[in-house]
Amino acid sequence: MIDSSSFYSALTMLFSDPTLWLIVLPGLVIGLVFGAVPGLQISTAMAIFLPMTLYMDFMHAMLFLTAIFTGGGFGGSIPAILMNIPGTSSAIATAFDGYPMSRKGEHNIALGVALAASCIGVIVGYSILFLLINPISEAVLKIGPAEMTMVILWGITLIGSLSSGSLLKGVISGLVGLLIGTIGFSEAGVTRGTFGSSYLLDGVAVIPAMIGMFAASELFRLVKTDYLVEDSAARKVSLRQILAGFRKALRYPWILLRGSLIGVFVGAVPGVGSSVANLVSYMVTKRGAREPESFGRGNPGGVIASEAANSTSEAGSMATLLALGIPGGGATAVMLAAFAMHNITGGPQFIREETDVVYAIIIANFGQAFLLIGLGLALIPLLAHVIKVPMTYLVPSVLAMATFGAFGLTGDLSGPITMLVFALVGWVFKRFGYSVPAAVIGILLGGMAEDSLIYSYQISGGQWSYLLERPVALGILGLLIASLFGRKLVTLLTRKAVV
Amino acid sequence: MSRRFSRFDKHRLADLIVLLLLAGFVAIYCLDAVRASRDILNLILVLPVTVIVLALCLAQFVKNVRRPRSSVAERDAVKDILPVAGLFAAYVVSLRWLGFDAGTCLFIAIFLWWHGERRWPWLVGYSLGFAFALALFFSRMLPYPMPMLVLDTT
Repeated sequence: MIDSSSFYSALTMLFSDPTLWLIVLPGLVIGLVFGAVPGLQISTAMAIFLPMTLYMDFMHAMLFLTAIFTGGGFGGSIPAILMNIPGTSSAIATAFDGYPMSRKGEHNIALGVALAASCIGVIVGYSILFLLINPISEAVLKIGPAEMTMVILWGITLIGSLSSGSLLKGVISGLVGLLIGTIGFSEAGVTRGTFGSSYLLDGVAVIPAMIGMFAASELFRLVKTDYLVEDSAARKVSLRQILAGFRKALRYPWILLRGSLIGVFVGAVPGVGSSVANLVSYMVTKRGAREPESFGRGNPGGVIASEAANSTSEAGSMATLLALGIPGGGATAVMLAAFAMHNITGGPQFIREETDVVYAIIIANFGQAFLLIGLGLALIPLLAHVIKVPMTYLVPSVLAMATFGAFGLTGDLSGPITMLVFALVGWVFKRFGYSVPAAVIGILLGGMAEDSLIYSYQISGGQWSYLLERPVALGILGLLIASLFGRKLVTLLTRKAVV
Repeated sequence: MSRRFSRFDKHRLADLIVLLLLAGFVAIYCLDAVRASRDILNLILVLPVTVIVLALCLAQFVKNVRRPRSSVAERDAVKDILPVAGLFAAYVVSLRWLGFDAGTCLFIAIFLWWHGERRWPWLVGYSLGFAFALALFFSRMLPYPMPMLVLDTT
């Protein structure tokens, strides 16, 4: 399974040239900063710095870009934990428990837990990639649009049914989100739901909507508080606590491993990636937990599940890029451009002929994970000071920063306006017990769900029997039904048994 | 009269209004989609999901009606949220004319003043410093021009 001569050649390649490692540190810092600033995406960072790689050789370019990718994966969790603003869509689930931990004064622990889960996730993910790059890429090709549709619908109903309030309201939220996600041009070439606004032709801007629903609506509610953490004694920034959080993550090996496996396989599916992987991992962890009601209230297991999955999905998307030459998302698309700039084409031939280069990229990522631990521990104490800022200053500053970020994502004022509208929607949802996470996930996946459904329809020619030929899709459909009615069914059956 | 229209009734009415708004939104959206095209590719997801949402809204309505009077949850006071939301809305809407630099500076200054900050050096210094630093950072980082009043982003 492992080509030992290529492995040694990769090690020689990496350790004979120290400049290779010098380029990793700035890459990690850039990724951390771009990931931590809402509105600045990792793919944006990679695109901005892509021209610089023209002056590098292929290995330098790959290490630099993957370092940005790795740093950004963790960077997105920092605002998610401290301010309830997922820096990237891959950190949505991190905010579910990370932010409640911060509000309880456990911000140091939460950041340490996130750092550990991210770094271990990268190591586990690339280890899996190292061993199974070919089987993963073959498995990815077997996932069709029917399976994708089922995964998306299952995900939305599951997150809706697991939300702390009513099941009905949770599912309504997810489905309304799903419909919002389909606004704009349809596959039939017509526009729907734009109500005459040219801003909506391309659909609702997802990330500004997400920032509005999660963060801005929460900031409106926090105006009456003095500090993010009410207890002044709990407001301190402590490296010891961060390290304790780091160690704490190691006490959840099963969640780490499961999140990593989910991350690799979901991340490998083109177009899905880390945005979905963190949610799937979170949902599976919550569902399997002894106390599922503690999730969403500051359970570190939720942060670990999300961070392990989103950082390993990097390895998954690299698998499809290297083995098939297909980018899984924005970041790997930029990497594909770097491939092209160096006259390299990803695919089976690349893996066969340049195995040492593939191994070198993988081994370099192990190194990046260790460097990220050091860098993270150095930078987190600085960033965590946000907890000491009075809300009078924090609320307008974060709202302004989010507005800039929303503009950055769309390039016009539709971003800030979307954020404003969804901030109000988010506040109404929270106030009346509808699930904000389910709605956000619906918006995020609406377009994807519709595309997958259309492709399934076109492949099947409109025959429902097509579904019977897809056992994986049927299995997921079963899970969907179980997630909606499973608990009631079990209660009903046990009640009858008792009678 | 006030006894008859209790807090419970107010909550139930508010719940009903939100439910109606959600049902109304999905119904209008679906009608708009049908009006745009009856092609199956256009309605393959929108139509079935709308039907399901409307059915769920009906079920939620019945649940609300049957809810026991004791189940009144604490909710945020609207009067605490509206002024902040209003100021934020004014900030976002005015960006087109005021630009990100001056608009942000003004938004932060008004917010600070409103929430009790009376130390002028802090109020002016922080609003100016934060707004212009942010505007400068983003205008240099983003590949497209941002509306600005003072800063030159060309």
